[in-house]
Amino acid sequence: MIDHYDWPGGREAMLRFGPADGPVVVMLLPLFEEANRTRCFAVTLLRLLAARGIGGMLPDLPGQGESEISVEDTSLSFWNDAVSSACEAAGQDRYLATVRSGALLDGEPVAKGCWRFAPQQGDQLLHELGRTARVAAAEGGQPIDLNDIDLPGPPMEIAGNRLPRAMLRDIRLARIGGPAPTRTVRLASDPQPADRHVEGTPLWRRAEPDNDAALAALLATDLADWVQSCEG
Amino acid sequence: MRPEGTIEVEETLRATLRDVLGLSPERVAAFDAATPLFGALPELDSMAVAGLLTELEDRLGILIEDDDIDGETLETFGALTRFATDKALQ
Repeated sequence: MIDHYDWPGGREAMLRFGPADGPVVVMLLPLFEEANRTRCFAVTLLRLLAARGIGGMLPDLPGQGESEISVEDTSLSFWNDAVSSACEAAGQDRYLATVRSGALLDGEPVAKGCWRFAPQQGDQLLHELGRTARVAAAEGGQPIDLNDIDLPGPPMEIAGNRLPRAMLRDIRLARIGGPAPTRTVRLASDPQPADRHVEGTPLWRRAEPDNDAALAALLATDLADWVQSCEG
Repeated sequence: MRPEGTIEVEETLRATLRDVLGLSPERVAAFDAATPLFGALPELDSMAVAGLLTELEDRLGILIEDDDIDGETLETFGALTRFATDKALQ
């Protein structure tokens, strides 16, 4: 079901799945381009959760997805505000589930727990944005040097997004973490520590959006079991 | 676990090419040192190279500078395997 939530800067769309009473999982996609490549997968996962009786919400962040706000008019603190507002719309028993750099936005104490899939730190995200920008420059785009983010100037265009320099500086410093109980799941190919490693495809690397039904089913079970264990 | 030997690095490279480019396991298993990559695989465009390098960094625990990569690094599977092995096991 298509719904919306209000945040201090306006109104954004969100998809809702399953029951609205009982625990509700608010899912945050990765920032920027990776969101396009993981959205279909996230919807599959939330539908599977709904089939197990756990509600789900997939909010658009301001400046992302179908938002009417331009990304150059947003910031990490706006996004944190929007996540808080989306969580309030989810009721008392809410959990955040994040994919990749979405975990950079789960640090505020707004949910009963945070489940993270393949979380990506801010400096890693900036490193990737820099590489993407250099490839685009080599193919005739505007040359961009991420060392310039500390200098005053206009937003930097990376992969079609005009990103304010303050946002890029905030991303460089952003670290995953917060007071809520957490569970981290990573792909078996990822050597970083996690509560669990699972076989699957890094869909966020694919040039075209793709899906991995087996991975979605496995993660839906992991997430549902974790939410139920938190609920006691 | 990070790869600790040449064979592990080569297998990591095969798996990364499969996952990033969406190639079938059979196709990737048939790659040998002479298999041409950049310019021969339509899936491997410049943006896919960026994703491939970043994913290799993550899986092998290495850092790849732009200057490390030249035209020959991605020419064949053998050349890329040598590059990744040198980086991962240095």
